[in-house]
Amino acid sequence: MTDTLQTPTSQAPESRKLVTPPAAARYRFLTDKWLGRGFIAPAMALILLLSIFPLVWALYLSFTNYSATADVGSKWVGFNNYKDILTSGSTWTHAQLTVMFGVGAVVLETVLGFALAFLISRRRRGRGALTTIFLVPMMLSPVVVGLFWRFMLDVQFGVIDSFLHSLGLGQPQWLTQKNLALVSLIMVDTWQWTPFIMLIALAGLTAVPKYLYEAAEIDRASEWFKFRRITLPLVWPLLLVAILFRAIEAFRLFDLVYILTGGGPGGTSETLSYDVYKKAFYGFETGKASAYGILMVIVVTIATQFYLRYLNKIKER
Amino acid sequence: MKGKLTRAWAAAVVAAASVAVAACGGGGGGGGGAVTAANFQSQLTKKPITLTFQWFEWPPAEALKKLGALYSKTRPNVTVKVQTVPIANWHDAIFTQFAARKTNFDIPILDSQYIGEAVTDGAVYDMTDFVKKDVDRSAYYPYFFAAYGQYPQSQTGELDPNAHYYGVPFDGDTWVMIYRKDLIPTPPKTWPEMIQAAQKCQQDNPGMSGLAFHTSGASDAAAETFNTVDWIYGGELWNPQAKKIEGVLNSPQGKQAMDVIANQMTPLLPKGAGNWFIDEVNAAINQGKVCIGFNWIGGTAGVMDPKASTLGKTPAEIEQKLGFAALPTYKTNAVPLGGMGMHISKYIDAAHTAEALNFMKWFQQPSVQTEWAKLGGVPGRKDVLNSPAFLDATPYNTVFQQSVSRVKDFWNLPQYTKLVNIESTNVNAAITGTEKPLDALNKMASDQQAVLDGTQ
Repeated sequence: MTDTLQTPTSQAPESRKLVTPPAAARYRFLTDKWLGRGFIAPAMALILLLSIFPLVWALYLSFTNYSATADVGSKWVGFNNYKDILTSGSTWTHAQLTVMFGVGAVVLETVLGFALAFLISRRRRGRGALTTIFLVPMMLSPVVVGLFWRFMLDVQFGVIDSFLHSLGLGQPQWLTQKNLALVSLIMVDTWQWTPFIMLIALAGLTAVPKYLYEAAEIDRASEWFKFRRITLPLVWPLLLVAILFRAIEAFRLFDLVYILTGGGPGGTSETLSYDVYKKAFYGFETGKASAYGILMVIVVTIATQFYLRYLNKIKER
Repeated sequence: MKGKLTRAWAAAVVAAASVAVAACGGGGGGGGGAVTAANFQSQLTKKPITLTFQWFEWPPAEALKKLGALYSKTRPNVTVKVQTVPIANWHDAIFTQFAARKTNFDIPILDSQYIGEAVTDGAVYDMTDFVKKDVDRSAYYPYFFAAYGQYPQSQTGELDPNAHYYGVPFDGDTWVMIYRKDLIPTPPKTWPEMIQAAQKCQQDNPGMSGLAFHTSGASDAAAETFNTVDWIYGGELWNPQAKKIEGVLNSPQGKQAMDVIANQMTPLLPKGAGNWFIDEVNAAINQGKVCIGFNWIGGTAGVMDPKASTLGKTPAEIEQKLGFAALPTYKTNAVPLGGMGMHISKYIDAAHTAEALNFMKWFQQPSVQTEWAKLGGVPGRKDVLNSPAFLDATPYNTVFQQSVSRVKDFWNLPQYTKLVNIESTNVNAAITGTEKPLDALNKMASDQQAVLDGTQ
């Protein structure tokens, strides 16, 4: 047995070059590189077929006056579709509404989601069960959510107004009053997607090293100090990623608007995606709808680039 | 190595693009073009075949399933299937398949106003020869064929001898006034009298509202409300000869109609009724919340259902409280034409086209339309419409018979979906107070004019 007090030898130990055993004759063509390509080929094919090709095709259609149902061929119209969309007053109205919805929903979801995650992370018992219960809304189809919330928010037949009325709080017209319709959309979206933020925040909170809290406690740091100087800075990058995902989803909101308000009252809850749907399916202006969609992709891509730069700066600190 | 990698990816892109083009291309018309009025019966198959209808979910669609079973007795190898979607998806469910040049239905039931779009897209079968050979047009009120089957649509209410036929009348419809006859003993005869009666009923019965009508911005809900009131007050939607909407829609009569809707009728609605359509109006009547309601005859079966109504435990008890009458008149006696025709998809094969034509020929028989009436449908044949079998089938069928000479339709132009969306959205804006009524009307007129001119 080697004595650890002995002086180590000056000679380096003998190294042996590892040699891969030769492949069986029938598999010699299957090098590591080709194996790698083979394994990622199905995923790449799916991405090409379902994402890249439709994007390229939509980009091409956006420069034409193509209509999916028309019995005539399409013509190249250059940037006319883009010009029509960008100079239309209604586009900016819908954009403003979409931004208001996005900011309202994402801020509320972030605050509530983080608060729920924080409370759950401090529990020792029942954490799993609580998390599962909170995740249920996220697992439901947006169409189902929109439909039952539509019933619940109905003034005459809905349970929410019936409850509020019994408490003497009146009967708000959630879906048929101008600004309340947007509030209803934010409320329902928050109900469904707060669990998403909660889940990611919870992952971040449970990853914070406990010794940091222990060190802070030794120095008699307050709860607020621990939260502000330890918890939040460490969880913040993960929260930002969650906010990015939710912001992108909020920007392209369609299904909830379609089911809950139908864009009403009077078109005041029509988001950008809902307007794209109308262009695409009311009159089948496929070229114009494609241009609209491409513009939305450009906006999201540019916004995401700025956001990711900020995210990287935070990570470097 | 980089070169090889680039070549590999390029090959993958080309392969993917080829597969996509192959998948996206092709399709298109089936063998329907080979089937004619002269030869369709010889092309009927003896093999098992499914004849598929596409409609939206409401009571007549359920009745069609039973009618289909009757057809299957004459053609045992044929199964009739009725596919339904929510009404808000009706147009999209049909026209997205037309766009794909491939349909999973054979007979789309199209709203009369969809015909223009379907015909100009080349999506429906030209049935002119079939109608001329196998349909006794004199058996129908001419406006039914003009509205449910012809394109371009005749604006005179008479058949246009130069227009082609793309469908046959299937299910007629119009608005019915459903009133609480225990609270309003005599149905009002004029529109102002109706509003007064609704106001009085609301005042005399706390907890009840005077009116329930279609207000939703979806589909043609609020649009039909405006059409009805506009026509009754002497207005028009457009001048078809001059292709003019602006100045016609927002004429003094149109302004008066919008004022009546927003300032006289809307205050009589229950709170929060700004998104109501067929089901909500029925629910309000069933729950005893309103004195007078307006709804399509096709959807009215819902108010006679004791399981859904608080007005009685049996249809007879409900009938003691509910009365049904034709719409009140005022400056004109127009009523909105609803209802649909049957059409044939051009993207199906010869066997299905032949079967669809055979079904339509079978449907022309008075006995079949009588069965349709007994099942709850509204047939198009004059003899059946005036028969006791139809008139006695429901308490509101007489309303349709009385209204037939008064029906009026709006445009069945290819731009219909855009025009009706503008109308419903703006009328809904006026009803919900989102927009001032006159501003909403003027916006409606200018936006619709832009669509008609092709500038929007």
